[in-house]
Amino acid sequence: MTRESEWQLALPLTLAYAAFFLVPLGLLIAVSAFGDDRITTLDGAQWRKFLGDPFTWKVIVDTVKLGGLTVAATSLIGYPLALVYLGAGPRWQRVILFVVILPLLTSVVVRTFAWIVILGREGVINQAVLWLGVSPAPLRLLQTEHGLVIALTQIEMPIMLLPLLSVMSRMDPNLRDASAGLGASKWRTLVRVTLPLSLPGLVAGCMLVFASATTAFISQFVIGGNRLVYLPLIIWQQSLVVYNWPLASVAALTLLVSVGLGVAAIAAVGRRGRAYAV
Amino acid sequence: MSHRRSTRREFLAAATVTLGSLALPRPALAKGSVTAAMYPGTWEEAFRAHVTPALKAAHDVDLEMTPLFAVDQIAKAQASRGAPPFDAFVLDPGPRVTGIERGLFEKFDAKRLGNLARLPAGMTDEYGVTVAAQVVGIGYNPKKLPKPKSWTDLLKDPWVSRLGMTGFQTTYGTVSIIEIAKQFGGSETNVEPFFVEIKKVLPKVAAIGAPASMPALFQQGQCDITYTNTQTVATLRGRDVDIEFVKPESGAVAFFTTMHITRGSREQENAYKYFDTVISAPVQSALMQPPNNFIPVNREVKLAANLPMASLDEMAKFVKHDWSKINPLRAGWIERFNKEVAK
Repeated sequence: MTRESEWQLALPLTLAYAAFFLVPLGLLIAVSAFGDDRITTLDGAQWRKFLGDPFTWKVIVDTVKLGGLTVAATSLIGYPLALVYLGAGPRWQRVILFVVILPLLTSVVVRTFAWIVILGREGVINQAVLWLGVSPAPLRLLQTEHGLVIALTQIEMPIMLLPLLSVMSRMDPNLRDASAGLGASKWRTLVRVTLPLSLPGLVAGCMLVFASATTAFISQFVIGGNRLVYLPLIIWQQSLVVYNWPLASVAALTLLVSVGLGVAAIAAVGRRGRAYAV
Repeated sequence: MSHRRSTRREFLAAATVTLGSLALPRPALAKGSVTAAMYPGTWEEAFRAHVTPALKAAHDVDLEMTPLFAVDQIAKAQASRGAPPFDAFVLDPGPRVTGIERGLFEKFDAKRLGNLARLPAGMTDEYGVTVAAQVVGIGYNPKKLPKPKSWTDLLKDPWVSRLGMTGFQTTYGTVSIIEIAKQFGGSETNVEPFFVEIKKVLPKVAAIGAPASMPALFQQGQCDITYTNTQTVATLRGRDVDIEFVKPESGAVAFFTTMHITRGSREQENAYKYFDTVISAPVQSALMQPPNNFIPVNREVKLAANLPMASLDEMAKFVKHDWSKINPLRAGWIERFNKEVAK
């Protein structure tokens, strides 16, 4: 196969993307331009209604904030675990990898419902809180933002760790030894050598977690309930309960743009971080 | 040359085998099948246990089920016009009205049901047949709370601080909120008094959850009182959860679950056989027993003692709603609910 014809290898995937992503996206944009739920009047009224409502902006901000908090929590907890992985021998590395992948073997629905049992009024955490006397009454954890972030942190952790561990395992250990040999402290080696080298994995993990947490409808609705309203809930209500597909399309495109901007921002931070490290 | 000959010979042999296999007698196949949309969970399990074998035995028809909630069925049928994703709907009144308005059903001929005479009057129309009833009231934990009397008790102490609520996404949630609104001067088309009253007690409410998570929230003690239907109460009791059903003073709400033939279905004959099997006395009787706990519609079925009525005629006394009036308002109510209860 000549170099010129190599592009043909990518043709099936390109066609699949065109058929199953670009065409539906085009349809979504087209439907969103209609003003009524019967899709007859082309006047963009749903866009004006949706974006003109201050509540919508609160929902957009809350959705992006949820993604941001989950990214922060998964990075803060996940990165030290990745460092433990880096310092462990091959056998322990396999054990850590298995533990990281383990939650992925259970359906997200099951994991989410398990969090009801853990975070509930009579759940494990509240029983411990009451037993230790930390609080006289059970804490409200379900249907609160911090409860949801706790659950999402566990649910999204594998997709933060997998790219991070992949990059860490390819890191040349001689570089860290050289840093130590040249007199750098452990902390300095972490900040000036390990962190910059692992940055591509961290950035990839953050992007995946952000995109996944902001769109995690089941977890958001089951753990957050109706007290916490995020864009996926509005898409579900409009498309499946009241059949206002133009408004559902508007909300879906808003989510797409919000997630896209969030991911772009993470990528930009990653690029700046790399520039700083160099 | 020899290579070409051998290829042709192989081709002929393969073709003969293929054609021959088509002509061979096949193992006994059913006279056909029908694909029915089915509520996931209790309904799907109960239908698999009782309707599937009964339909096979009576008509030699295989029942294939697609688990979908009522609203999902309407959305899916609407999105795939011309190629129906299933032959039969099972719907609550709200989505049923939407289906009628959007022309998603075939015209229904009740005379084709052998068990028609065994149904009370008004259980069939030109759109479909009623297969079960649902009764909505209050479910509470008698070990944690005193017995509530009315819908308004839900918003008072000590009940309100243990209350679990859902919004307008479900039929039972919508009718319960309408009933609460009525007690404060509202009506079927005016739920404003509910929003006024709920705002006063909102911080106290124990849970405002996703409909699918409500049984789990009750089971985990996150809430100890909620509006719900008798079937959910019976199912939770079957799992040893402390829950009792109460008919509010102003009356419990009743609504019917109906089945319809999808427009353009190629299995209409089998769909009628399926409906007829569902409403037959033995199947209705089996569906009424725990752990299924359906409310039957066949007059020949002797009602179980734990049902909220002694006879099907009593259903006339329950509170009913006109969903053709509710549906146009529901989108606005959902939006309002989001804004009022979201933090």
